[in-house]
Amino acid sequence: MEDDCRPLLGYEPTGESYSHRGSTGSLDIRTKRPFHVEPRNIVRDDPQERISAEAAILNSRVHYYSRLTGSSDTVLSPPNHVIPTAEEIYIYSPLGTAFKVPDCDPASKNPSIVTIFAIWNTMMGTSILSIPWGIKQAGFTLGIIILIFTGLLMLYCCYIVIKSPKAIKGVDTSNWEFPDVCRFYFGKSGQWSSLVFSMVSLIGAMVVYWVLMSNFLYNTGQFIYIICPYPKTNPGRNDTMSTLCLGTMGNDTSENSFEHYWSKNRTIPLYLIILLLPLLCFRSASFFARFTFFGTISVIYLIVLVTIKAARLGFHLEFHWFEPSQFYVPDFRLLFPQLTGVLTLAFFIHNCIITLMKSNKNQEHNVRDLSLAYLLVGGTYMYVGVLIFAAFPSPPLSKDCIEPNFLDNFSSSDVMVFVARVCLLFQMVTVYPLLGYLVRVQIMGQLFGNHYPSFIHILVLNIFIVGTGVLMAMFYPNIGSIIRFSGAICGLALVFFLPALVHMVSLKQQGNLTWQSAVFHTFLIVLGIANLLAQFFM
Amino acid sequence: MSSSAMKKKVLLMGKSGSGKTSMRSIIFANYIARDTRRLGATIDVEHSHVRFLGNLVLNLWDCGGQDTFMENYFTSQRDNIFRNVEVLIYVFDVESRELEKDMHYYQSCLEAILQNSPDAKVFCLVHKMDLVQEDQRDLIFKEREEDLRRLSRPLACTCFRTSIWDETLYKAWSSIVYQLIPNVQQLETNLRNFAQIIEADEVLLFERATFLVISHYQCKEQRDAHRFEKISNIIKQFKLSCSKLAASFQSMEVRNSNFAAFIDVFTSNTYVMVIMSDPSIPSAATLINIRNARKHFEKLERVDGPKHSLHMRMR
Repeated sequence: MEDDCRPLLGYEPTGESYSHRGSTGSLDIRTKRPFHVEPRNIVRDDPQERISAEAAILNSRVHYYSRLTGSSDTVLSPPNHVIPTAEEIYIYSPLGTAFKVPDCDPASKNPSIVTIFAIWNTMMGTSILSIPWGIKQAGFTLGIIILIFTGLLMLYCCYIVIKSPKAIKGVDTSNWEFPDVCRFYFGKSGQWSSLVFSMVSLIGAMVVYWVLMSNFLYNTGQFIYIICPYPKTNPGRNDTMSTLCLGTMGNDTSENSFEHYWSKNRTIPLYLIILLLPLLCFRSASFFARFTFFGTISVIYLIVLVTIKAARLGFHLEFHWFEPSQFYVPDFRLLFPQLTGVLTLAFFIHNCIITLMKSNKNQEHNVRDLSLAYLLVGGTYMYVGVLIFAAFPSPPLSKDCIEPNFLDNFSSSDVMVFVARVCLLFQMVTVYPLLGYLVRVQIMGQLFGNHYPSFIHILVLNIFIVGTGVLMAMFYPNIGSIIRFSGAICGLALVFFLPALVHMVSLKQQGNLTWQSAVFHTFLIVLGIANLLAQFFM
Repeated sequence: MSSSAMKKKVLLMGKSGSGKTSMRSIIFANYIARDTRRLGATIDVEHSHVRFLGNLVLNLWDCGGQDTFMENYFTSQRDNIFRNVEVLIYVFDVESRELEKDMHYYQSCLEAILQNSPDAKVFCLVHKMDLVQEDQRDLIFKEREEDLRRLSRPLACTCFRTSIWDETLYKAWSSIVYQLIPNVQQLETNLRNFAQIIEADEVLLFERATFLVISHYQCKEQRDAHRFEKISNIIKQFKLSCSKLAASFQSMEVRNSNFAAFIDVFTSNTYVMVIMSDPSIPSAATLINIRNARKHFEKLERVDGPKHSLHMRMR
């Protein structure tokens, strides 16, 4: 019989496995569930049945029915309620022995360490590049305090998000994500608002990606153009450890033709369209999900890079509490909301944490694992932020020069940073279509009920997204601002407002809402609103 | 006597979406084309040319579909559809929310049958029972059965509960076939004698097109209660593979140190499967026995039933 290795189950609409950022697609067990049981070995006459009679006959039926339809047709696929329970599924080796499928619950599989790593991996985004700038904006001491405080706050909000489906009795919530919980409590408006704000974070991320990709592509091109033809005479040789302050560098007025065509703000964003718009129009993004490991490598490389740079440059820290000085910034600044905005996006995982936690083997350790993951993420951000800030050579340059993308502070000719830029560029090129796919699936699914209504719809949506990215890259490429605004906007809804409200409503329904709890959660909502408003004023 | 007048029909009817096409595909090993699902209602009789029990042709109709188009076509072609019907198999979807409507269409089919083919046998299948919780299945089926029996008077209807995901479908259709074979008891007695004479462990009689078990004899307890359905599935898959090469399945012998099994054509409507657990008996002996028995059984078939004898004489 043909295709004996083809899984008989595992048909699920592709949208579902990408209800979160692509890196966790491999954690979804349903697509890999083994249900193919070979016909039993009839050579030996064992007194005891090796598989249950029901499973054996079901296998025979499934075998037969699969011959009657096309391979992608599901009209005769066994529905879930018909599949035997895990205890009755056996796997046969060709030699005739049979062993049971190890406790294979569809949803719980991964040991804690894998879950923690998956959360860390998903949360680590490009906001890591803006943390030093954020710390600079808030002031060194205040920045550290805010980082810890915001991390704890978002950890708590994440915790009430994971708790929320469990409080719902009487309905099967095993497949629900947070928008479904919002729909349950607040009806259509709840679902729509959580969706819209989720879109804000996704589209904000995509715009940031476009700006960064233009940046990295530009620098890569500069490196190759300037450095490689002239390896002996490269002017940057001595500057491998130097950092730049772009604000003080005078604009290079003499433009040669290369710089005319290879300009960070004018032409490169447009070149990227040719590369990325076709990728966005792919029907399925599973190809790009394979490259998520690149993100991990990039982050690790960044950490190594930061360590080496800090080791070479040494520490330059002086504490000026409230007054600015020529080279240093005060330790407590009024611009601190910019850091909170950035951190809201940096610690944001609330739209997909339920799905990530579902595959944790020991569900009772969820809170512990989540806390460890947040600790790890906070630690990584703190490490990178503090080291870059501290190692920034202040005597010649002012701390105020730290760029929203700290890699910009290194010259184009720096080899280590060049490698970092190339890695990140490649990683972003592979993650960008995944994000586009998520946006497309959610928007098209909600508006038209179909993930791919027609090529024109998709094209219009993609042009809109790409256009936003291009415009931002050309006219306002300050990723710090883009990150803090999109972070504050989507944070308001998905981190502070909706989770706190859902928590209070569910406590009220159970009759457990104390006034302290109500005050605290209302305070959370107020914090969220304040965070957003402060972005406009500070 | 023209052969077309002899083609009696088996009508498979029911509401659109009740599972008739899947059922027919599974029982008769037809490939379900993707289009039937997209089209929704089975618009036409499909001219299926599926031969069943020799001279019966299976016709599939959607009854009471959502279109008024279906209704009109139905009423204008009514006599044509319901003439010469040997068997009416009506499929009810147990999950249907429109019980009144279903019963209404069923009754109009019965009226048409009474007018045009009053001798037809009526079977009702309450389908998709796997969607009902296990502890409620008996209850729900009994309710439906009572309603249907009541509605079907003066005709007698036999009810079965079925689902493609358990053995009930195969058993229901096997029961239907059993009731359609003339003189089936005599066949069974002769089959038992045959089995005892050749010292077989088990002898099965299958309907030719569908490999539904008509009758069987076993001399000792067998372990696997689902073996008939499994054999049927295996042979139907084999037939599907054969048809890809434009070959047709005729006979099969499976032998190992523990047993020998023979599947072969028996009479014009049936296949026989003989299981011998004494491997020392040579194949040739069993095959000769089967061949001799074949002549005997064909005589049996020829003797009974005017329909079948007419059919035989015409060949």
